Amino acid sequence: MLSNSPLLFWFIVVFLAGTLLWARRRRSRRREVARELAERVRREDALKHLCKCEANGIPATLASVAGILHLPADGTAELLGDMEQRGLVSFSSGELHLTPTGRASGLHIIRAHRLWESYLAGETGVEKNAWHAQAEEREHSISPAEADRLSARLGHPVRDPHGDEIPRAGGALSADPGRPLTTLAPGTAGRIVHLEDEPEIVHAQLVAEGLRLGAVVEVVENSDRRMRFWAEGDEHVLAPLLAHNVDVLPFAPDEAGRTETTLSDLKPGAQATVLGLMPDCRGQERQRLLDLGFVPGTKVASEMTSPTGEPTAYRVRDSLIALRREQARHVRVRVPAADAAPPP
Amino acid sequence: MNQAPSPANGLGATCATCPAYRTARLKKLGIKAGASSRVVALAGNPNTGKTTVFNALTGLHQHTGNWPGKTVARTEGAFEYEERQYKLIDLPGTYSLLAGSPDEEIARDFILFGRPDVTVVVVDASRLERNLNLALQVLEITGRVVVCLNLMDEARRHGLDVDTRCLARDLGVPVVATSARYGRGLAELVQAIDEVAQGRFVCQPGRLRTAPPELHAALATLAAKVSLALPGVPNTRWIAMRLLGGDERIAPVLTTGELGRAGQGADPEETGGKKAPRTPLPAPGHPDPGAVEEALRTADALRRDTGSTFNERLVECIYAEAARLAGRAVTRPDARHQADFDRAIDRIVTSRRWGFPIMALLFTAMFWITITGANIPSRWLSALLIDTVYPALREFGASLGWPAWLRGVTIDGMYLATAWVVSVMLPPMAIFFPLFTLLEDLGYLPRVAFNLDGLFKQAGAHGKQAMSLMMGFGCNAAGVVATRIIDSPRERLLAIITNNFSLCNGRWPTQILIASLFLGGLAPAHLAGLISAGAVMAVALLGVVLALLVSWSLSRTVLRGERSLFSLELPPYRPPRLWQTLYRSVIDRTLIVLWRAVVFALPAGAVIWLSANLAVGGTSVAEHLIRLLDGPGLLIGLNGVILLAYLVAIPANEIVIPTILIFTVLTTQTTGVGRGAGVLFELHSPAELLALLHRGGWTLLTAVNLMLFSLVHNPCSTTIYTIYRETRSAKWTSVAVFLPLALGFVITLAVACLWRLLAGG
Repeated sequence: MLSNSPLLFWFIVVFLAGTLLWARRRRSRRREVARELAERVRREDALKHLCKCEANGIPATLASVAGILHLPADGTAELLGDMEQRGLVSFSSGELHLTPTGRASGLHIIRAHRLWESYLAGETGVEKNAWHAQAEEREHSISPAEADRLSARLGHPVRDPHGDEIPRAGGALSADPGRPLTTLAPGTAGRIVHLEDEPEIVHAQLVAEGLRLGAVVEVVENSDRRMRFWAEGDEHVLAPLLAHNVDVLPFAPDEAGRTETTLSDLKPGAQATVLGLMPDCRGQERQRLLDLGFVPGTKVASEMTSPTGEPTAYRVRDSLIALRREQARHVRVRVPAADAAPPP
Repeated sequence: MNQAPSPANGLGATCATCPAYRTARLKKLGIKAGASSRVVALAGNPNTGKTTVFNALTGLHQHTGNWPGKTVARTEGAFEYEERQYKLIDLPGTYSLLAGSPDEEIARDFILFGRPDVTVVVVDASRLERNLNLALQVLEITGRVVVCLNLMDEARRHGLDVDTRCLARDLGVPVVATSARYGRGLAELVQAIDEVAQGRFVCQPGRLRTAPPELHAALATLAAKVSLALPGVPNTRWIAMRLLGGDERIAPVLTTGELGRAGQGADPEETGGKKAPRTPLPAPGHPDPGAVEEALRTADALRRDTGSTFNERLVECIYAEAARLAGRAVTRPDARHQADFDRAIDRIVTSRRWGFPIMALLFTAMFWITITGANIPSRWLSALLIDTVYPALREFGASLGWPAWLRGVTIDGMYLATAWVVSVMLPPMAIFFPLFTLLEDLGYLPRVAFNLDGLFKQAGAHGKQAMSLMMGFGCNAAGVVATRIIDSPRERLLAIITNNFSLCNGRWPTQILIASLFLGGLAPAHLAGLISAGAVMAVALLGVVLALLVSWSLSRTVLRGERSLFSLELPPYRPPRLWQTLYRSVIDRTLIVLWRAVVFALPAGAVIWLSANLAVGGTSVAEHLIRLLDGPGLLIGLNGVILLAYLVAIPANEIVIPTILIFTVLTTQTTGVGRGAGVLFELHSPAELLALLHRGGWTLLTAVNLMLFSLVHNPCSTTIYTIYRETRSAKWTSVAVFLPLALGFVITLAVACLWRLLAGG
């Protein structure tokens, strides 16, 4: 057929060649876009790191940037050089500093990240472990205006679900509260105020260990080899390297956290007084618990548990409310001294 | 009711204060609201008898039940008092107005933007503290409030006494004690509504301490800024609170300055679509853009200081105030007998040892009563509609000289199919629904949800799904409606999609007939009944297992990551009111479902008759279709007749068996059986029936697969329509239709293959 129609033959040849060329150009263009994006992501991640260092008064170095970005030293140097050219950072007396432009841009990324985490925690059913990774991607594609809208939608949250401050648009970042768990002496107690979400594997390990924001910890042993402590009725043993990623706010000596527990640990028939809700309980879930009357000072009694193990019905303000275990875990309560579990 | 308050009363005469006199002036108008009527909103916590109050005032019959959250969408009614017309809006029951769930937004938007003349807050007298939470929030928005202290009878039973005068004085609004279920106190309620609407009672809710003391200064600052920005708006403090609480919907209202129209413009459906601005909020002047910006900036700055804990502090303070007020008003002269009694019952019905046996016993009894009890009225109806009226109609048609095809389509087709559906469907529903409603009113069903929730949680579903599944055993359409009690959208969707797996009344007869014909016949005579009953129960249980499995897989695939909210309140037990229950369940559930079934059965009857009588190329359309469907039908262990019967019986599963009989007679060219081509009939002799089916090529495999397919196939058209109405989504409706259908094909195919493998090997 081709032989008796040369016109058609040439037409096909031209068409094929054109398509091939177009596809190649498209592919190279796409590769270029991807490379540009990857570079931007790297720059923004570096800015984020520099902002955090600046807020906490820790000097940022080429090595610390390289560590965060998982880049070799020469690649990092190249990146920082590029950033200096773009007016994002400056070097003075061997130290890395943010320029005002760089600071604003870094703060926006931090804000976008933490807002997105808040959104995932409060408005979706996405699992805890996936929050950070998803936010890590989204933070680069949210514009400042979008971040403002997200903030409005969430009711302008001040802290993210990891306990970190969400900087205001155009605002500054303040230093992290609390101090590493490893600085606590044996016999002292504190409340977890931050779980480091980077690197991811560390965070996953801490979550798997059952540690969460708002939990009360009591240190039993603190040595170079291991940290032994109680949190929410369980004993944990962590390597100091891992425990260093948990930030706590120590209690004053007279402020005993020992009688504090969560509603889920309340024995059947026992009474307790509500102290508050855990910080990782967010959004409508939190508001619903509040509206049902689980506010500080409220008396609660555990009435009965379903034969299938869950939920448990609690009497609160003359109503009988059934809560599933993970909901009851959100309610911090104080048990009267007589009912309190014997000290571990 | 001698405690009824006497708020400032314009009428001096003694007879004017007599309840009898006032009741005489209340006229229930149902849904006929005049154009000039004043608007009264009815708000309240779930399960406080709000809908009962609504029904009592309007004479309507909205469905109620001892379930938190019965009223989902807004309903309207009307009444007249002293020749003044009032439109009554029943808002969805909410615990608060802060969380922003769809229900709460509807309620809040209506109170704020709909500007009702009076807002009646219905509170549960026996749980005053928790209920005042909502009342105090409403009082922050509007002062024109009447508090209806309902369920006074229950409070007395619990040994509580509420001092309405003290509460009225503290709240600064009228408080009326009622027992709406028994019609007590309603006259006083209407009078109080009228007085507030007329402005004869001036509400003074100003002395409430709902704001957190440490935030007074911040609130005052912000409220001052807001009143500068929006001169003439009375509830600036509430706006300031919402701004501090980070409520995203308030800022735009501020910038446009149109407090009255903001909600209506956004969603006229939800806010009642009222055009004329109402009196309580004077129309604000033009907002000053500079002042608005200043107010918003102040709010932003203050929010930094107050932190994200503002809403929490607010709820805490509202509850503290509620506890203070309740403490002053409520006395407990009697030790709490009733509460202890409730607790004792709860301990038994939710115990590890007795919880499940009691549940099983109650439900078995319910089904047994339904199935055996329905036989008798079914026979009567069938004798009347099919054996008496049907021949009479045929004669009547003939006497009018109607052509044969017209008589065939209308009388043999449409009338007979409808009569069939009515006589098979009506009696079991008329028995099942009242029994179900009785358990519901008693308060037992929430305990069932409580007992089973652990199981449903494993499947990613809500314990209340157990209720909608139970309801589905009566009718799937009613079961789909019953999912409204599930307030988490994700779990509700699961419950809607899987409801079809509970074997509805329309499918029980098929199951029982096939099981006793084919499976019962396998066993010795004295065991036959047991075997067939066991087989039917096994199929019903398989349905429940499938519902759980499908919920499990959907919640892990398509619905993964969707937000889920659990809440389950166990209300106190209430003595059910037998006649009301009977009346309401017949009106609300039975007749509505029946009506829809009839609407769908009429055309189905015509289609069946036509398909058997219209011929193309010498053979009827039905036979052509059966030949076409025989291939896939036989592959999955059924046959073309059954598939076609399910195709035409989409409107109502009740007619599957008679349709199968018609088509079997048609294809096997049997003579002397039935009433003619395309006319529904029934065979009363099992031997004759079995012989006919064997002639149609039926085997034991056909019977087993028919039982399975009857359980797992698409929902009937009534249910499909209901699913669409409830989800408002073509996507989820088609999932609910095609998922069980596909599953049905897979299951029957698997059984057929396995069967042939075993039989062949």
